[in-house]
Amino acid sequence: MEQSTSRRNFMKLSGVLLAAGATGAAGLARSSGAAASPAIVTGGMAALPKPRGPRLVVVGGGTSGLTIAKYAKKAYPGFDVVLVEKRDMYSSCFSSNLWYAGLVDLEFLADHSFLDAAVNNGYTYFNATVTGLDRASRTLVTSEGDIRYDFLVLAPGISYDYEKIGVKDADTIAALRQTYPGGFVAPTEHATIHRKIKEFEGGVFVQTVPSGNYRCLPGPYERACMIASVFKRNKVKGKVLVLDANPEVTIKKDGFHAAFNELYKGYLEWLPSKGVTGVDVEKRIIKTEFDEYKFDDAAIYANVRGSTLIEQLGLMAPANKSNQKEANVDTRYYNIVGDPHVYVTGDSRPHPYSKSANTSNTEGHYMARVLAARAQGREIPWVSPRTICYSMVNANPMEAISVDAGYDYSAEKDVITGFSKDTRTFESRDAAKGQATLEWARGIYRDMFAA
Amino acid sequence: MDRRGFVKLCSGSAAGLALADWTHRAAAADFEAAPPARLVGGDGVPLKAADIPAGEALVFAYPMAGVPCFLINLGDRAAHPASMRNEDGDYAWPGGVGPGGRFVAFVAICTHQMSYPQPAVSYLRYAASGSELAGAPGRIVCCAHASAFDPAEGARVTGGPATLPLLPVRLAYDAASDGLAADGILGMAFVQRFFKTYKADLNARFGPGGYREAVGDTTACVPLSRYSGVVPTC
Repeated sequence: MEQSTSRRNFMKLSGVLLAAGATGAAGLARSSGAAASPAIVTGGMAALPKPRGPRLVVVGGGTSGLTIAKYAKKAYPGFDVVLVEKRDMYSSCFSSNLWYAGLVDLEFLADHSFLDAAVNNGYTYFNATVTGLDRASRTLVTSEGDIRYDFLVLAPGISYDYEKIGVKDADTIAALRQTYPGGFVAPTEHATIHRKIKEFEGGVFVQTVPSGNYRCLPGPYERACMIASVFKRNKVKGKVLVLDANPEVTIKKDGFHAAFNELYKGYLEWLPSKGVTGVDVEKRIIKTEFDEYKFDDAAIYANVRGSTLIEQLGLMAPANKSNQKEANVDTRYYNIVGDPHVYVTGDSRPHPYSKSANTSNTEGHYMARVLAARAQGREIPWVSPRTICYSMVNANPMEAISVDAGYDYSAEKDVITGFSKDTRTFESRDAAKGQATLEWARGIYRDMFAA
Repeated sequence: MDRRGFVKLCSGSAAGLALADWTHRAAAADFEAAPPARLVGGDGVPLKAADIPAGEALVFAYPMAGVPCFLINLGDRAAHPASMRNEDGDYAWPGGVGPGGRFVAFVAICTHQMSYPQPAVSYLRYAASGSELAGAPGRIVCCAHASAFDPAEGARVTGGPATLPLLPVRLAYDAASDGLAADGILGMAFVQRFFKTYKADLNARFGPGGYREAVGDTTACVPLSRYSGVVPTC
């Protein structure tokens, strides 16, 4: 027993390393031309317990996947749930901006175990990378063997789309991705940005804001505030230059403008309608339509697209449904159009929802009930996800602004038409919302990892 | 199991509740009697209802050391009995006790994602005069995700993502001494999940397993503003 365990651990470790080698640039936009589902069903089955009910395989241990794995099991205890996640250590993207200003530590983001989530909630965590899918035989292919499913949920998050900021050659994409990461996908990017801010001695630190429905609309503005607060506190002779592709701050604009003007005069400059059209990584120059900006350091947030996994598995929506290479799913029930066994949730969805943790968490609660109902041959009515989200705009002392948004669905057009009437913003920053920002995140961690 | 399925079905939204075409009636739930504990002040002297302020909640532990509860004086609002439902089933909430039916108590743990008053900070509070998130005066508000509860109506949800009322704590009033005691709670399964979720924190605060110990004959009530170092006014 002892021996087989350690051998398995070893195999797992080597499998993960191989997978990491093969898909180290998983978030990177591949050159197009990838044909439909490259499924290679090896016939080697993954070492998983025998299913004791309809098997629900959830791919992706982020907010969406963790919420669905837990609550689908609660809603329908007959489910045999397997969570497939390529990482062996969790760390949240949400709240990572707070780390840069020292308001939380890395433990706050990362001291949450996939193992505990699985044990607490009666499912299996399977540490593997997805490499293929055969929908005809309902088989998911992973670096650790094949898994048969009755229901499959893919929640792989986002990838960056560097082509949309005029960076098209593989050399520059790789250099940019590694040297000036956007910090909205992988924990290793957060660690790099954290280091950059601590090391910054002066000059211009650029934070770009992409166009389109990028992940965490207030995220780049909040980060600019957090970096500026560090410069201000440490009396760094430098500023954060926010190059915004959009003509106006995309959300909570009054609250952000107030912070920019009242807290960070001389430490933060925000420039609208400055979509990035190219980057010279070597010379540290960002090009926009009419101007060029020299920088000393930067977090360059490229445009966002559905995870490359969605494209690789042949599940991408046509361009008229998503101009961000997101998944081709039913608007209300998230199944791949025409396939009631495969679902795509979280930030690879084509919906115009804010790509926020709270959206994925509330959507996950709903999707868990959809899956539970469908496993029992029933349907439930559509429910809007909810986007409650705080943005810390001051670090000393902690003060935040917030938004509480819902969405409307048009049955006639079968599309999400916009924010619901009860959407509210709370844009006068205060200490109460600053405190709430921390508990907002802890609540979501509890909801995903505790019993 | 069916009942739990139903509760899940309803969670998350008003639309879920609108779908009330359930085939299984939820089971009836009732208070679990626990040894009564007299509510006393921080100095150990029994509280008199006449001295309990209406401006903020008092925090006391019941029936175990690790279960935080709010004692609320509703001021000029009376709390009438109401039919309620939580994950245990349907139950009759007895309303307020004492002069004017103004005194109520609930477990101070948000039913959404379990925020609760801690010595450092409390994200849950009774906003007697209202607040940005409360929607109206006299609500219990959770800062984390803006859930709000009305203590005059059994702590039913009045806003935000919570779907279940705060757990009720039963109070008894003794007119002769103008004193109050807690003598029952409903929803121990939720409390057990709370214990599991916060086990490390609770052990650090109360000593290993200390949070599970019964409070005894008396339990001290402390104003929330003194109980927690920071009480954000969301």
